[in-house]
Amino acid sequence: MIDFTVKIGGEAGFGIMTTGLFLGKIATRSGYHAFEYSEYPSLIRGGHNVIEVRISDALVHSQTSEVDVLLCLNKETFDLHAGEVREGGVIVFDNEKTDESLLKKPDRRISYVHIPFTRILRENQLATVMLNNIALGVLMQIIGADPDILNKLIAETFARKGEEVITKNQQAAALGLSEAKKDFPEGYKTKLVKINGVPEKVYLTGNEAFGLGAIMAGCRFYCAYPMTPTSALLHYLAAKAEKCGMVVKHAEDEIAVINMALGASWAGVRSMVGTSGGGFALMVEAVSLAGITETPIVIVMGQRPGPATGMPTWTEQGDLHFVIRSGHGEFPKIVLAPADSEEAVRLTVEAFNLADKYQTPVFVMGDKYMQEGHQSVDMEKISSLPSVINRGKLLSQEDLLKTGQYKRYLVTDDGISPRALPGMEGSLHQANSYEHNEEGHTSESASDRIQQVEKRNRKNDTYLAEDFRLPEVYGPKESPLTVISWGSMKGPILQALKETDGLFNYIHFSRLWPLDKAKLKAFLKGFRRFLLVENNSTAQLGQLLTMETAMEFPDTLLKYSGRPIYPEEVISKVREML
Amino acid sequence: MNTQNLPTPTAKINAAFSGYFPTWCPGCGNFGIWSSLKSAFNKLKLHPDKMAIVFGIGCSGNMNDFLWANSFHALHGRAVPTAIGVKIANHSLPVIVIAGDGDCYGEGGNHLLHAARGNHDITVVVHDNRVYGLTTGQVAPTAFKGAKSKSTPGGIIEVPVNPVALVLTQGATFIAQGFSQDMIHLTDLIVAGVEHKGFSLINVFQPCVTFNPANSYSFYRERVYKLGADYDPSNFRSALDKSMELEEKIPIGVIYKSERPVYTDSLNQLKTSVLAGQSQNTEFIKFINEFV
Repeated sequence: MIDFTVKIGGEAGFGIMTTGLFLGKIATRSGYHAFEYSEYPSLIRGGHNVIEVRISDALVHSQTSEVDVLLCLNKETFDLHAGEVREGGVIVFDNEKTDESLLKKPDRRISYVHIPFTRILRENQLATVMLNNIALGVLMQIIGADPDILNKLIAETFARKGEEVITKNQQAAALGLSEAKKDFPEGYKTKLVKINGVPEKVYLTGNEAFGLGAIMAGCRFYCAYPMTPTSALLHYLAAKAEKCGMVVKHAEDEIAVINMALGASWAGVRSMVGTSGGGFALMVEAVSLAGITETPIVIVMGQRPGPATGMPTWTEQGDLHFVIRSGHGEFPKIVLAPADSEEAVRLTVEAFNLADKYQTPVFVMGDKYMQEGHQSVDMEKISSLPSVINRGKLLSQEDLLKTGQYKRYLVTDDGISPRALPGMEGSLHQANSYEHNEEGHTSESASDRIQQVEKRNRKNDTYLAEDFRLPEVYGPKESPLTVISWGSMKGPILQALKETDGLFNYIHFSRLWPLDKAKLKAFLKGFRRFLLVENNSTAQLGQLLTMETAMEFPDTLLKYSGRPIYPEEVISKVREML
Repeated sequence: MNTQNLPTPTAKINAAFSGYFPTWCPGCGNFGIWSSLKSAFNKLKLHPDKMAIVFGIGCSGNMNDFLWANSFHALHGRAVPTAIGVKIANHSLPVIVIAGDGDCYGEGGNHLLHAARGNHDITVVVHDNRVYGLTTGQVAPTAFKGAKSKSTPGGIIEVPVNPVALVLTQGATFIAQGFSQDMIHLTDLIVAGVEHKGFSLINVFQPCVTFNPANSYSFYRERVYKLGADYDPSNFRSALDKSMELEEKIPIGVIYKSERPVYTDSLNQLKTSVLAGQSQNTEFIKFINEFV
């Protein structure tokens, strides 16, 4: 089995992220799976950036703590990460820029590859932006990948910039490759030999998956204010807007963002907003507005460590309770938390259908870890996803005329009222932020209030009856130990499960709210002992489950350093408990 | 022909837009704005189904139940962004915002600047009475310096917001001021504002008879004057000069008017039809292919 990790580090602004992306694409185009994880500070230039790509001939769910090939574009990368390189691994560094005698080499058998990056740039009069191409050429030699795949990728990327730019980039890669050939002709023991006859793969981030899901769901309005880790969703959709017929608006602040989206949704278009904790805090009043006006909206909430500005470019699952309890007053909301690209596309499409069906806010939660890292998935898994569009009780002009006296907030058994759009004949109504009667007029009468509260709450009951799903179970059915987690931590846990050949089983929550207490309790009773794994400090899912089922979850693996949980940490905790 | 029993066009359309009878205090300046809006909609031949009104929160926003049309009674301060969303989703609908001074110049001040910059084709009618009525008498952002209120017993320290200068300098393409007692004049301003293609602000002086006796009907009658035929609203500099007449003499009429492409005209996605009318995109496989 092939499973190795390449880590690339250097100063921000050196194109480290592009190098990682290209490497991942070279792997997936060679028939392999790839998983990308990056760490960078909240700076534009300077600071230390690293990106790692784990490549395997089997599906890979997460990063790992051991590195096979470390490519250092500055000395800091060597100092910080040489210790992670495994026995028999490779470290590439610029021996002319860094005095080798000053390097603290790990006490292991490691191959050192000397590449004079700075001299190559100087002698060939190449700009610093070419550094990443040289690095990729070096990597092609070390991991034995087909340089033609790299050259084709360069040609595609710079197609619009013309032949000259393409050739220059390709030449830089060739220089790196030949330099590495001189110093390390044998290459790394594991080679990226092209595998034929395997399914075609796509390689995308969680942000791109949210965007793709929105396109598939027929989202027509995306509104956002930039905020890590969700900015890249704005960038992706803004780039595709004209092609897919979506209006993408970068508004003045998150308050405007969500109010614009609600206006657009009320007028009939599927609308989505995206943000992170701080931006979401500004949106919260309008979440409540969506609740009482019963306006569909999809909210992508990308978590990062808080409170306040926190650690902008790092990861955490710290906002589960904030999202579930967001908005003053009582109204139904639905919270989903996809783990990976495939789930992100699928649940985003579903989020739009649920929002239209229940006419209420639907959340898609992510975090820096899953939103910014690329991950491979068989293309067929995405292209075969159901993209059925269900707009719920949205009335056609014909249906509306048949209803006679239209009532926007008609009291119904399932709590959902038929929805007309402004501009339709006979659509006269108001979406009212005040409590209202069935017509939408402001009302403070006790009976109207009770009727409308109960009507809105019934949507919750309808959801539990028609759309609630128990969490998924991975691994052996019978196991003395069951790991419980949610959202993006599925990856490291599945990886741990795989690497221990099913030492435990795993309950994965991707639908966090609302929960069916009785069904959930009965379901959880079927397991013996739990380990709660969460990327936060207070076990928020655990608290939620206790609240709903009165069950306790005393064993936890919690991580709140801003870093994701590693499969090795899960394995060690599981072994300790068994 | 005996026309005596035929309803006048105004009465007819008033009926079409009529909701509950207002709960405003007797003598409230809002009555004049309410009547002027309905007369203007009549002149414009608007139909309550084929338009959208976004109301703010306050005494002005309470018009939602007295002026019956497709409407969104939004959050305090947020009527403008809500209206922009409506307009982007269906730019064939006339979109009107009815909000107050606290709503538009205080809580939602930021949105106003950006709506003007974007030249979003909406008409914002602001009820400016220099006081908070619904919360029973605190200063508004347009209160004159020194105004005493429940929240400023020693007199307000800040100078008033200058709404006309504010939106003028931020790119608004239609700016007018009206007085709620001069309903014929105000009706014409609303008609012109709605007809204008681009962002229009109509700041309406409206006495609060309960909480702001200082800025009464007579206060305005003594100070307002109509801009004459010799005034050129297309001149930015003279509009800026007019915007500085805040207290001694107060101009009413169209202060500024210019032409600039509206936000939705710059979107190629909206060239063939309104966003809300577009069929779903089913060719997403090409978007998936880009990730190979």
